[in-house]
Amino acid sequence: MNLPRRTFLKILPAAGLLAACGKSSKIRLALNWKPDPEFGGFYGADYAKHGLDVEILPGGSGTPTVQMIGAGSAEFGIIQADELLLARAQGNDVVALFAAFQSSPLAIMAHASRRLESIGDVLKSGTLAIESGLPYARLLKKKFGFDHVKVVPSPGGDLSAFLNDQNFAQQCFVTDEPLQAKHKGVDVKVFPVSDIGYNPYTTVMATSGDLLRKNPDMVKNMVAAVREGWREYLDNPSSANEKMHAINPSMEAASYAEIAGAQKVLIEANPLGKMTTERWDTLAAELKELGDIPQAPPADQCFRDL
Amino acid sequence: MWKTLQKAVPAAIPFLIVTLAMEWLVRAGWIKAFLVPPPSAVFETMVRDWRELFAALARTSSAALIGFALSALGGIAIAVFLSSSRAIQQAFYPYAVFFQTVPIIAIAPLLVIWFGYGMRTVVASAFIVSIFPVIANTLTGLLSTDPALRDLFRLYGASPSATLWKLRFPAALPQILTGLRIAGGLAVIGAIVGEFIGGQGLGSVVDVARTQQRTDKVFAAVLLASLLGLALFGFINILSHVALRRWHASEQN
Amino acid sequence: MTEAKTASGLSIETSGVALRLQRVRRAFDDLVVISDLTLNVDAGEFLAILGPSGCGKSTLLRIIAGLVTPDGGTLNITPTDTKFQTAYVFQDAHLLPWRTVLENAALPLELMGVERAERIARANDTLAEVGLSEAKSRYPAQLSGGMRMRVSLARALVTQPRLLLLDEPFAALDEITRFRLDVRLRDLWIERGMTVIFVTHSITEAAFLADRAIVLTRKGGGVKLDRRLDLPRIRNNELRVSPQLAHEMQALLAAMEEEG
Repeated sequence: MNLPRRTFLKILPAAGLLAACGKSSKIRLALNWKPDPEFGGFYGADYAKHGLDVEILPGGSGTPTVQMIGAGSAEFGIIQADELLLARAQGNDVVALFAAFQSSPLAIMAHASRRLESIGDVLKSGTLAIESGLPYARLLKKKFGFDHVKVVPSPGGDLSAFLNDQNFAQQCFVTDEPLQAKHKGVDVKVFPVSDIGYNPYTTVMATSGDLLRKNPDMVKNMVAAVREGWREYLDNPSSANEKMHAINPSMEAASYAEIAGAQKVLIEANPLGKMTTERWDTLAAELKELGDIPQAPPADQCFRDL
Repeated sequence: MWKTLQKAVPAAIPFLIVTLAMEWLVRAGWIKAFLVPPPSAVFETMVRDWRELFAALARTSSAALIGFALSALGGIAIAVFLSSSRAIQQAFYPYAVFFQTVPIIAIAPLLVIWFGYGMRTVVASAFIVSIFPVIANTLTGLLSTDPALRDLFRLYGASPSATLWKLRFPAALPQILTGLRIAGGLAVIGAIVGEFIGGQGLGSVVDVARTQQRTDKVFAAVLLASLLGLALFGFINILSHVALRRWHASEQN
Repeated sequence: MTEAKTASGLSIETSGVALRLQRVRRAFDDLVVISDLTLNVDAGEFLAILGPSGCGKSTLLRIIAGLVTPDGGTLNITPTDTKFQTAYVFQDAHLLPWRTVLENAALPLELMGVERAERIARANDTLAEVGLSEAKSRYPAQLSGGMRMRVSLARALVTQPRLLLLDEPFAALDEITRFRLDVRLRDLWIERGMTVIFVTHSITEAAFLADRAIVLTRKGGGVKLDRRLDLPRIRNNELRVSPQLAHEMQALLAAMEEEG
């Protein structure tokens, strides 16, 4: 085999890889969890109407959506507002566009039989499973201390440890795990994290600053499509629920409907998905105080109103 | 001492080249720092957070070593049992293969339920992940005994246990050590995975740092884990040298 | 009973056993390796077994050693308590590579439960007999092929066997070493008086070593030629070029050639 041909064959796979990483005709929206009512509006949106060919990429425990946006392996991704601030502090230029949840559904759930009254009580005994890397975890530690509770890693969607042990409490989304536990026969008490004054925008669709600069019209259309999709989902969740149930049958169809109804109150806003400078400033200040970011960035770098 | 260092030089050169290349690529902007941190940042983090990192390393090391010791002893014992008859092999070997094929991530929640959050789960994870190569390699070694030597032992009326300890086992030693080499690295991996689920140690550092988007800390922890695996590997190599240097081709030259 | 003295002056008694094989038959799956063999071996005899490949000579030796049971026929050894006093030397030395020469030579006694001090003493003796005293602390990997075979011989002799079986033991060695070991083996046989059965494909070796040589038929059917060799008791290398040896070899050669 002569040299040029050998070199060519060596380059070929590398070139293929580069091509795959680069432009794709589809617009990719990466989710940070398995399809469930939390993403209802994204599945319900009519992207074609706005001239967009969108592929939704389901996620799971640990899907690195914020890095995917920064690396360009997804044009849009679902993240939490505090994640965005952490990312920007690391030099990842991510910008928020649409906050589906105005109020954070993040909560701590415990067995109702323990008769606990507040989050502080949960931290007085037993086991608590949380993602200790998240800023709210540090806030909990600061406020209540972890001296009397055993802190363990969050089980990532698997409820077996919770169901098995009465003194086991864990992080959850009010729209998800509590209902599942109830269906499995365990009554729970839910303590929203927003109760301790920590309420970042949640299930936020974001994109890279790069894409925003290069293709502002496409981004605008995406936001418009998503906004309509959420309106539709709030009024008529059934078709989107069917779509999601087909992809993620681990939750029953009835649960989809139940949760879709329960979460409305956290989502409703005018317009849907809106964000304010005040709330971003508040969040940035909280994170700075916790020591998670060195300084609070100006809110207009963090989000765009389109 | 100097000779040992000399041996390390050929291995160190690619490492140095890659490290310098990475540093340049990130600083020049070819690779984004939040995806892959420059080596200098990783080093800085190692120095700054050394207390936390080395405490984690100590925990992971203990778990990996205990898990490895258990899988070494257990694996050899199981292989000796399997080698005792064809019927026993056919009946039980498929279950040993289970240890290789079971995805540890899938059974980790079960481990937590049985062993609780803490060291025992991590050790169990390290054990499950690392035992199969010990069984497989030891079994191969025990079954490959020179037939002429087996005849010789038979000729002099040696008991099955004498044949096992004086012939089959020493003859299988090179193969057993190969199995242990593979198991060492796997024990470290198993411990880290166990820590993702069960908490503490380097696995926990990686998990938490990942959530915090501190890729420099993730890399620092991963680097320490690799060094742990390397140390275990080196230890087996020393063991192998001591055991085999007089008689096996692999240790001569 | 033959009395002899070992190199260290230890007095030993060995006497050979007599064998009687009658209508022995052995097959492996479909292949009949020995179909109908009858053979008597006298006590203290040095017997060479010759034959083409596939004639079953190795299998025959293993049957005599008790490693393989015949499908039919009988094997009688007198006196009857010879189980531990059969020794076997393979074509390759087959030493335990993780043990020293001395430990290898002592192995049979170790397996038989003999005390350490005694077995080391006896191993030292047999190593001296094969001329390997200086190498006793070395490991097999450090020895030449010829030296390894000597250790194998020493190992075989350490139990003072009354029956010594050798399966083409010197075939893999160079000619000079082979000649030396042939002479040594013959001398050891004279000293100890055990029965020796030596399988070989070399007509020269068979004629040089044995008192009696048999040629087996190609298909393992039986004995083609059974010849008492008319040669002196003491044999040295001069004999190798003598007309007497040539004469015996011719007879053996003729039988071998007929068997193909």
